[in-house]
This record gives sequence, structure tokens and C-alpha cells, in this order.
Amino acid sequence: MAGAQQIFFDDVILGTEIPALVKGPLSAPILMRWSAAIENWHRIHYDRDFAVNHDKLPDLAINGTLKQQLVAQALRRWAGPAGWLWKVSFQFRALNKVGETLRIWARVVGKRELPDYGLVDLELGIVNDAGAESTPGTAVVALPYRHRGAGVPYPFVPPDSK
Amino acid sequence: MALLTREIEALVGMESEEVAACDRVERGAVRRFAQASLDDDPIYYEASAASERFGGPVAPPLFPMTMFRDDFGSADVLSERAADPDFDGIVGATVQGLPPLPVSGLALLNGGTEVELFAYAPHGSRVTSKSRYEAIYEKSGKSGPMLFVVIATDYMAEGRLLLRVRKTQIRR
Repeated sequence: MAGAQQIFFDDVILGTEIPALVKGPLSAPILMRWSAAIENWHRIHYDRDFAVNHDKLPDLAINGTLKQQLVAQALRRWAGPAGWLWKVSFQFRALNKVGETLRIWARVVGKRELPDYGLVDLELGIVNDAGAESTPGTAVVALPYRHRGAGVPYPFVPPDSK
Repeated sequence: MALLTREIEALVGMESEEVAACDRVERGAVRRFAQASLDDDPIYYEASAASERFGGPVAPPLFPMTMFRDDFGSADVLSERAADPDFDGIVGATVQGLPPLPVSGLALLNGGTEVELFAYAPHGSRVTSKSRYEAIYEKSGKSGPMLFVVIATDYMAEGRLLLRVRKTQIRR
């Protein structure tokens, strides 16, 4: 994110969506590379015969852990170098299968002003090429003010523990 | 039939030992993770104005969650079960060092994950984790009673809390 533009709390408009992160098509080699990187040997991600004939899935499954990374990536990019992704939650409601292109989206549903920075509440999800939602969730991102406050601390200190 | 027994309720608040990941945060492991998650953020590999905020290059935010692996000398489950056509390839515990729930015959479903982020793991740091049963409660669903089991795991490095992860398991 070197040279990335900083978004400020003041500029965030309720109801708007952050820039979507689009990744794909997520091919079998991409899934294999992820499984290897985290040493996850669950066969449904690389052994099509096992996924389809043993586990009765439609095809190889995109790893839930990879989808988590993509959500965090989309939110961190938006938060910028001086922001902070504080909370993110996911529910894995539906399978995404190999070859799909995923669009990670998030919409601003709340804003809370604190003395040194602001908190932005978001709803989020992951839709595939067919427009099907698989991973609804929520997030809270801390953003600096443009002209006031000390900014977002690092390490992050949650507001209720001050 | 109630699923939530006194024996299960007594687990709430129980903590695991603090466990250390078998390897430190290695540059090569960070590189493979970042490339595999399609994330080219330079804070993962170079000292720059962007990584200065974090004291130098760091691992991706959720990296600590995947660091707890089989160390040298561990049993090789993949070899042991190589001839088993039903082996799904899953290796490792589902209860993060905690005693398993005393239930039998109940399916295990993933009810969601919530992550709180406080700091990133610096290159070279040693990451530890500690888990606890944070809550266990019962709800009735269409197919009967269900237990909701919330396991909270703290990931730490260099005396600093990095992540707090709450996983909800549904048993029914």
C-alpha cells in the first residue's frame, strides 16, 4: 500500500460501498498454492475425485481461509496506511467452487466519532460471477480525522479498554 | 432433550496452556502466504515508510492463525492414513488445546468466525496462542436443540496481543 491514498473519517458517507476487490478466476493451481502455503491438506481443495465422488460437492471448494484473507485485504486497502481494520466477522453460508471469480464488497452502515479517530461499521460479503452471496459478515474500521485527533494508535487500543 | 449439561457448563472459562508455534515468523513463509493470498502489500517484505508504523516488515494480519503446525518429530498422519480412501486430509485438532466437549454423535458445524486485530506479527517474532471456552449456550432449532460453543483464541508475539479470534461451533 506504499503511496496509497488515505481516506479520512470525515469523507466517509453512510450507505456507500468501498471499492470492491475482485479476484479470479480462482483456478486449481491457485487453490493448491494456498493449501500448500498454510499446510492445509483437506482434499476437497485439490482432489477433484474425492471432492465430487466422496464428499458429493459440485467441484473443488475455494478455501474459507483464502476468502477470509481476501476480505481482510479489501478492508485494509480501503483503511489506508493510517487506518486500522479492528474487527471482521464472517459466516460461511455457501460454497464457492474452483474457477469462480469473487467480488468482495462492503457497505458503510454506521459511523461513530471518538476523540482521536472515528469508527466505521460495515456490512460485507463475497459474491461470485453468478451474483450469489456466500460469506456475509461485518467489520469495524478505525479511520483518522482529516484535521483533528491524534490518529489511530498502533498497536490498536480498543476504545472500551482505554 | 437438553444438550447443555452441568458437565458441559463447567467448561466455560476453561483455558488451554499457552502454546508456541513451531517456527518463528519466517520471511519465506510470509512470502508464500502473501503470494498465495494474492496480496502484494510491500509491508510484508520491505522496510519502508509504510512498514515503519509497524516497526519493519510484518506478516499479513491473519497469518498467526495458520502458524500452528506439526513440528519435527510429530506423527505423520498423511503417511499413516495414505491407504485410507475415506481420509479427508484434515490434520490437527478442532478444539485448540482444550478438552473436547463431552458429547457424542453430534455433528460439528462452523457457525462463523470473528477476528479482532490489535497488531501484526513482526518478521522473526515467536507467536504463541492460548484458547478458552468463552461461552456455551443452547438454542432450539427446526431440527431440535443445538449447542453453540464459542472458543476464543488469543495470538501473541513479543508480549503483545496480535489477534483475538472467536470461533462459534454449532453441535446438533
